[in-house]
Amino acid sequence: MREITYSEALREAIRSAMAKDDKVIMIGEEIGQGYAGVFGVSKGLYDEFGPKRIIDTPIAENSIMGAAIGASLLGFKPIVEVMFADFIAVCFDGILNQAAKVRFMSNGQYSLNLVVRLPGGEGSGTGPHHSQCLESLFMAIPGLKIANPSNPYDAKGLMSSAIYANDPVLFFEHKKLYKTKGDVPQEDYAIPFGKAGIARAGKDITIVAHSYMVSVALAAADELYEKHNIDAEVIDPKTLVPLDMQTIAESVKKTSRLAVVEETYLRAGVGSEIGSIVSERYMDWLDCPIKKIASRNVPIPMPASLVGEVIPDKKRVVKEIREMF
Amino acid sequence: MDYDQNLYLTFLEKMYLIRRFEQKVYEFAERGLVFGSTHLEVGEEATAVGTLLNIKRSDYMIATHRGHGQELLKGTDVNAMMAEMIGKATGICGGRVGSMHVTDASVNNLGAQGIIGASFPISVGVGLALNLLGQKDKILISFFGDGATNQGNFYESLNMADIWKVPVFFVCVNNLYGMGTAYCSTCNIEIYKKATFFNIKSDYCDGNDVAAVYNKSKEIIDYVRTKRLPALLELKTYRTIGHSAFDKHPYRTKEEIEDWKKKDPIKRTEDILLKNGTPKEKIDKLKKRIDTTVDDAAAFAAQSPYPVYDDSLEQ
Ligand SMILES: Cc1ncc(C[n+]2csc(CCOP(=O)(O)OP(=O)(O)O)c2C)c(N)n1
Ligand SMILES: [Mg+2]
Repeated sequence: MREITYSEALREAIRSAMAKDDKVIMIGEEIGQGYAGVFGVSKGLYDEFGPKRIIDTPIAENSIMGAAIGASLLGFKPIVEVMFADFIAVCFDGILNQAAKVRFMSNGQYSLNLVVRLPGGEGSGTGPHHSQCLESLFMAIPGLKIANPSNPYDAKGLMSSAIYANDPVLFFEHKKLYKTKGDVPQEDYAIPFGKAGIARAGKDITIVAHSYMVSVALAAADELYEKHNIDAEVIDPKTLVPLDMQTIAESVKKTSRLAVVEETYLRAGVGSEIGSIVSERYMDWLDCPIKKIASRNVPIPMPASLVGEVIPDKKRVVKEIREMF
Repeated sequence: MDYDQNLYLTFLEKMYLIRRFEQKVYEFAERGLVFGSTHLEVGEEATAVGTLLNIKRSDYMIATHRGHGQELLKGTDVNAMMAEMIGKATGICGGRVGSMHVTDASVNNLGAQGIIGASFPISVGVGLALNLLGQKDKILISFFGDGATNQGNFYESLNMADIWKVPVFFVCVNNLYGMGTAYCSTCNIEIYKKATFFNIKSDYCDGNDVAAVYNKSKEIIDYVRTKRLPALLELKTYRTIGHSAFDKHPYRTKEEIEDWKKKDPIKRTEDILLKNGTPKEKIDKLKKRIDTTVDDAAAFAAQSPYPVYDDSLEQ
């Protein structure tokens, strides 16, 4: 099959939706002219669709988000690019009190097709204001969906679904994934929300990881298998909301052990949520306590000497998982 | 103002320090030693020098993401600045945060922003605190870019600055672009005019003419300091390099860049000194001294260790 990058895969899904449906528009800073997408996702789209569909904005995230909500109320399907996921803080009211609540508060009279693209994650020294993974923060808000593709194939398929999700979708991308390549079909396809994938089958432990951490978990699983005789199953939830607990539960039933690996902060993280559900419902299946392997509770530093200690890497995942046996 | 050779020599010395510092940071970036991105001030040196030569060490400052010159002029040690650029433990913030986030409490530099626009309300709060504390000898100088003035909190903050009467000197370094976007394509109102809507004293000048920046700042700082009122100064300038170290800036024409290079503030100052009889040897000697300072800082930074993680960082 044809190999393309994660960012090309995202662009293909957006481009195809825009070609078929003139209500699909993009709004954001530097997405059309200027940089044409800081991570290259919207490259070429301005030339193809023009300024009415690829809408460059001033630096004004709060109003970008509000404007996208307004346009969505009238039937548009905006895809907002927030240049770095960290800047979502500047549009928090739009997300928390407006977008997330439209469908409920209007008793379903209105609902939003609205994708908020969020390039997150540490990018080799991007520091405290440009590196955060914030998925878990938003998992706590009813009314939002959260997608977190870990590879080009999922990026394209999840984006196709997100554009028509009929609810606001926070689409968390990862800086370290944009240039990674993978097999992606030319034709359109959609990956359903709420259906996890098994990135690696195994029998001794279940590792749940999302976004960039899937590749870290897979590398750790290889080492665990080759050097330590531990056969790990790696589950990629693909969307954190809705979360496919069934696939996770089936795996835990088989392996009797659970670790959650994430780049999000440790406290109240994805692991806290999944871990509490598993211990509430499936405690009897577990042979040992659940392990949360996450970014330590520290703002993301700049130099590699600190980043390597704060954010989980293969070495730490292997070490912490070995302690479970 | 009468011509004052010593003042012009100071202008030159400080601007040249910033230029050499930025060139060294660029070299480090090329060698892959600057971890994240770094935003250099090349071409804009007169804005930091002309304003900050009128600011006391006891005054407060908030810098921008493009703030190395602002931070150096406020008084931060060159070695500690350079070490921070490449994330070394001897850096002014322990090497934790790097180029974009320099804070130095010893010179009342409250920090630099990675979040565009976040500095405006914080500046109002600093002014409020100075008022509440009755510290009538101090003011805040708050730097920001042209692009930042499109954030909503700019307007909220100007309004609050006006009604609370805060002693804040807002300085806009208008380099005509925010990343790849020309300011004129994002707003139809000139920046200095925006403050006049709130009845805030507001002015502009050629940001590449260091003497003009110096004189205008002196007058406005006197006003902020004595009247305890906010004011804004827009400095029109240009970064002759990319937005960040590796930005090839294709969104600007060669002609535009070359035109602005002709208005280089350092060259201009040197020409004035030479025309008024300062011997070239004196200028060369001054530059040599700065070269040594910056080379020494680079060597210090390079030799310093990286910070080591310990659990006490957890919060
Ligand atoms: C809230 C927020 N939005 C966007 C950015 C990305 N960004 C960094 S610098 C910059 C341009 C800022 O332009 P300006 O204020 O004119 O400062 P300059 O870089 O020109 O010095 C942008 C958009 C950011 N850092 N923070
Ligand atoms: Mg600018």
